Amino acid sequence: MNVQFKKGVLELCVLVLLDKQDRYGYELVQKISDQIAISEGSVYPLLRRLTKEGYFTTYLKESTEGPSRKYYALTDVGREYLHELLIEWKQFTEGVNQLIKEGVNDE
Amino acid sequence: MNKENFLKSLNNSLQRLPSSEREDILQDFREHFDIGINEGKSEEEISKALGSPQQIAREMVVTYRLEQVEETTSTGNVLRAVWAVIGLGFFNLIIVLAPFLALAGFVFSGWLAGVSFVAAPILFLVNIIIYPEVFAFFELFFSLFLSGVGIFLIIGMYYATRWLMKGFVKYLNFNVKMVKGGMKHA
Repeated sequence: MNVQFKKGVLELCVLVLLDKQDRYGYELVQKISDQIAISEGSVYPLLRRLTKEGYFTTYLKESTEGPSRKYYALTDVGREYLHELLIEWKQFTEGVNQLIKEGVNDE
Repeated sequence: MNKENFLKSLNNSLQRLPSSEREDILQDFREHFDIGINEGKSEEEISKALGSPQQIAREMVVTYRLEQVEETTSTGNVLRAVWAVIGLGFFNLIIVLAPFLALAGFVFSGWLAGVSFVAAPILFLVNIIIYPEVFAFFELFFSLFLSGVGIFLIIGMYYATRWLMKGFVKYLNFNVKMVKGGMKHA
């Protein structure tokens, strides 16, 4: 699939994954790459950018196995942004699906 | 590529960032490797899935440059941000470089015209010194008039340049968001 298209969706995926619980970077990367083929490294620049834009805060937490992990938490601004994106995403996919349906019917 | 080589290559591509910023980024990837190794993956496996460290570094540098330019809109910061965004790929080369060159050309010629208008009386004097026999009042007054126009032109260009730089930074931000970010404008 088109790389640029995927990158746009990546932002939505990260925001959605953080909506219910805080997660650490590795976990986010694994959750996404289980579903979509991505180059995993591109998640980190995204996390960094969204943190700087104030959508996430980060904190370090000790883990039972190995070193401490950096957790990402969604802020109120981030949650608001997520809901905006979700509405746009729904409209967008409904539109595309409709076009696909009409296209297939005509054949 | 093993963990050490990956981190070394990432570090090398991030040389232009301040060391605190760089260390922070490297730490995220160290953590990523350590957790993966704990789960029983090999270093090679992990670095292959991460992708090219150079590409990761490019995206990190763009984020940093745009943040810098938001803080202080200086010519140097704008140039560095433009350069970083262009580095992201061929697509950006066209949609960033072309408008940038057009605007830079406009700004440059505006300043050049302003400065040379202001300098017109000096050029007139030089002319008189070299050819004293061609002195003409019309030329004297016309050069003074041009000098006045030039001062207004320079003041105008000062504001136009600032405004254009701010506008272009907005365009860069929009560009990065569109390429890497949300569906806001889709």
